[in-house]
Amino acid sequence: MNPEIKRGNYAKEKGEVVLREHEYDGIQEFDQKLPNWWLFTFYGAIVWFVVYWGLYYHTKIYRTDQEKVVASITALHEKKEAELAALMNSLDDATMIGKLATDPVVVASGEAIYTTNCVACHAADLSATMEVAGNKIPLPGMSLNDGVWKYGSKPMDLFKLINEGTPADSPGHNGAKMVAWGQVLSPKQIAEVTAYIISKNPKDFGG
Amino acid sequence: MNTATSKTTTITYDDRTVRQFMIASIVWGIVGMLVGVICATQLSWWQMNGKFIESITGGLFKGEGLQYITFGRLRPLHTNAVIFAFVGNMMFAGVYYSTQRLCKCRTASDLLSKIHMWGWQLIIVAAAITLPAGLTRGKEYAELIWPINIAVALIWVVFAINFFWTLAKRNEPSLYVALWFYIATIVTIAMLYIVNHLSLPTSFLHSYPVFGGFADGLVQWWYGHNAVAFFLTTPILGIMYYFLPKAANRPVYSYRLSIVHFWSLVFLYIWAGPHHLLNTSLPRWLQMLGMLFSLMLWAPSWGGMLNGLLTLRGAWAKLRTDPVIKFFVAGITFYGMATFEGPLLSIRAVNALSHYTDWGIGHVHSGALGWNGFMAAGLFYWLAPRLWKTKLWSASLANMHFWIGLVGILLYVVAMWTSGIMQGLMLGEVAEGGTTLKYEFVETLKAIQLPYILRSIGGTLYLIGFFLCAYNIFKTARSGQPHDDTVEVTVPVKEHDKMPLSQGLFSDPVAYTVAGLAAMILWFFLPPHADKAALLVAMVLGVQAVRTFRRKGQAWDQWHESLLRNYLPFTLLIFVAVAIGGGVQIVPALLVNRAKNIEGRLQELYTPLELAGRDIYVAEGCYNCHSQMIRTLVPDVMRYGRAGVVDDYSHLGESLFDHPYQWGSKRTGPDLAREGGPLVAGSTHVRSGKRDNKWHWFHFMNPRWANEDSNMPSYPWLYEKKTDFKSLPSKIAVQSRLGVPYPAWTKDEIDQQAREQGMAIARSLFEGTTPVGYEPMKGASTEELVRHFSESQVVALIAYMQKLGSYQVIIKDGLPTPTPLDPDSYRKVAEKTEAFRKGETTTNP
Repeated sequence: MNPEIKRGNYAKEKGEVVLREHEYDGIQEFDQKLPNWWLFTFYGAIVWFVVYWGLYYHTKIYRTDQEKVVASITALHEKKEAELAALMNSLDDATMIGKLATDPVVVASGEAIYTTNCVACHAADLSATMEVAGNKIPLPGMSLNDGVWKYGSKPMDLFKLINEGTPADSPGHNGAKMVAWGQVLSPKQIAEVTAYIISKNPKDFGG
Repeated sequence: MNTATSKTTTITYDDRTVRQFMIASIVWGIVGMLVGVICATQLSWWQMNGKFIESITGGLFKGEGLQYITFGRLRPLHTNAVIFAFVGNMMFAGVYYSTQRLCKCRTASDLLSKIHMWGWQLIIVAAAITLPAGLTRGKEYAELIWPINIAVALIWVVFAINFFWTLAKRNEPSLYVALWFYIATIVTIAMLYIVNHLSLPTSFLHSYPVFGGFADGLVQWWYGHNAVAFFLTTPILGIMYYFLPKAANRPVYSYRLSIVHFWSLVFLYIWAGPHHLLNTSLPRWLQMLGMLFSLMLWAPSWGGMLNGLLTLRGAWAKLRTDPVIKFFVAGITFYGMATFEGPLLSIRAVNALSHYTDWGIGHVHSGALGWNGFMAAGLFYWLAPRLWKTKLWSASLANMHFWIGLVGILLYVVAMWTSGIMQGLMLGEVAEGGTTLKYEFVETLKAIQLPYILRSIGGTLYLIGFFLCAYNIFKTARSGQPHDDTVEVTVPVKEHDKMPLSQGLFSDPVAYTVAGLAAMILWFFLPPHADKAALLVAMVLGVQAVRTFRRKGQAWDQWHESLLRNYLPFTLLIFVAVAIGGGVQIVPALLVNRAKNIEGRLQELYTPLELAGRDIYVAEGCYNCHSQMIRTLVPDVMRYGRAGVVDDYSHLGESLFDHPYQWGSKRTGPDLAREGGPLVAGSTHVRSGKRDNKWHWFHFMNPRWANEDSNMPSYPWLYEKKTDFKSLPSKIAVQSRLGVPYPAWTKDEIDQQAREQGMAIARSLFEGTTPVGYEPMKGASTEELVRHFSESQVVALIAYMQKLGSYQVIIKDGLPTPTPLDPDSYRKVAEKTEAFRKGETTTNP
């Protein structure tokens, strides 16, 4: 209890920083003014709260999230369909076999796509099997090197199958259906991976 | 002061309880951090999920993984241990030490202190056993099963009684700011914990939360966010307010800042929970409140930081010499950084990038390691010499702890920022002219492997620092004797705690605040134009309040001062302040978004087997790495939506019956909201989604089969363990009681359905031209395999995976009507009416 430190009223009169008179277990407290910049950020956030809420609910400046996404995805689908249509104009079975499947750059890029997306079910060697302790265990996909092309043996059948997935009315391969890779890959990429598969089966597609 | 008329008395503080809590905090801290380091390494090396034991036991243990230590089960153990065991015990040590001294009396009851201390440790032990065993409620930081929940609530009540009883017996009429924060902690945690843990048991070890879908998410993050606020922040601020001025021997910077930032902090914090669910199917108005209140929270949080750091003015020299001050200053600085980062991450546009990535993990660790961990260390180094009446064994070892810990945190946080931002950007990157995504999910995971390793190193450094702390405290304790302070205190003539509740509650400041808030809340909910009137009223009240304060500031100050001498009205006002936010968000949301009001997509019910599979999904902690929420963001819809569906983000109705909801908070693996698919042609039991049953079969066995860079654990035990069919009737009964519209099935019907579906899925795996194999049952006939696996957990889990994202479409004709208590409905009605008038639509989309 040192009277020289306990100078609350004295300081107030002098306009100095106030040290409050009371102490708690020896802890004292100044009573400094709140920093202006601190108050400003606080008030600013409150004002922004009112302004933003008002703008969202009473003006059309902000669209809803749902509107925004649907608009973007619709535009994206249209763009993709246009690309597909354009590609289909220049793509046929003969180009697929004659030009793409023999172009090493296209085939290499198709192989990269295949390795990333397809090996889990069709295996790196296209056999749709994997080896566990010396046994060949079948994978979910269909074999791509047994000469059987269940959904059509023309290159463009293959392209369509990859792009759109297993047809909706098909029971699938033991119930398993392939997804529509057109959702993930671009038409060009699908053409590339198709070219890669053709290049691996020259006998079936060699004509 | 009443020194002239009052007598004095001699009291001995109960410092034994403080010592016990402190030791418990250090021990559990080491355990929690060690588990954290293991979890961190599991993300870099999948073998850390159990296979590594093969090599360290020289082959005694064999297996691709050990179920008890997979990431999905350990991560909840890590978070619970650090939050409730490490920080919890540290908080109790600080609270018990400072409350006695600020009240100038011994803790009210030694028995209650003992029950609190030992009860809490028992709860932690129970958590450490049940969580690795896969017993969980499946909600983050609320995983413990219901019997333990009840124990936690009871022990918390014991703590509360002991604390408030001590306040009632106090010999210091006025409450110091540290005590305000302790009161807020005790009251608010009780409210949050109880509401978020409301469950209906299906057995002694299992229950379903009463809330489902988005409502469960809303309640979960009202709780989760405010566990951070009122378990990891307010008690530590209270500890700062006591121990920092003690250690610095300087007065606190500003009393009025204490008042302003305390009240604004406790009131605003509660509202910010929905910022954990931004851009999801949570109604927009809740997202708006979550984001905007988080921004308003910035200044109140920094008020605490300012009052801490500026208290050191005139004592900065101690920063060089005193390890306690060093830890406190660094801790408060990290608090400032984390509370700046928090509002930043709450901005919806920023959150679109940061959410579900490591940025969030970095953010919480700058709080947990920087703020909590360093404040704890400062507290321990300050307490130990006093509790054992000696001096700190080694200041230089404490300094070393400081530097190792600091480097550890910085490494950790910077690594997480890097990986979070990098992965977030990669996931949104497009290719081929914007029509496809550039990277597969696993490619983004591969890209962040270096930051992951740096994170493990950072965490390990921090743990090493903490070992040094433990050793230092141990040696300090050994060098002294347990010591309880004895002091002579003045017993004041009792004039405090005599204010009638009404006088505390009915006063100008309370009246203005309550009226202003009421007007503000009406502004949220009233229909167009009426809401603007409400806003006007709120503004007029605000201006009037300021004018009254200008005129009668002295009286308001007096009122607050007298409130501080009356702990009951003060506590009641704190409760009112913290109850408003949750009430305004949760109650209307629950009333409006019921199944009968849902338009568009409504979730299909799980079959009994799918429900069993879902419980396995929850028990394995899959939600720790996989979300089930396609946000309303283009990259999310492109990556996880179905081909050709333009609005394939997750809709609110799609998870409405999920108890608990499984939207997740972090994507270490891809989102699973649309993993499932329709029934296979000709089957009533077997579905095939994005991937077919066999893919899942191979993938749970060994995720590296599908992609060599996967860091998911292998789950070989799912192939051996049986699905719990017996509990299904009671589970479905509980789901029905919670409002899931199950038909009235008998026990036998439930059992039969589950077994039939199990058989059908097992047949789809083992029959046909390309059956899957199972090495441990080599030589078994197909029929034997089908029979075994029809009851296996893996088949139930596959059933669940294939159901994910199934919904029915509900079309409501005609014009929508505005819904009271739903601010979004007015906007929707206005837009739809316009579209209807223009003839663009005849039904709701």
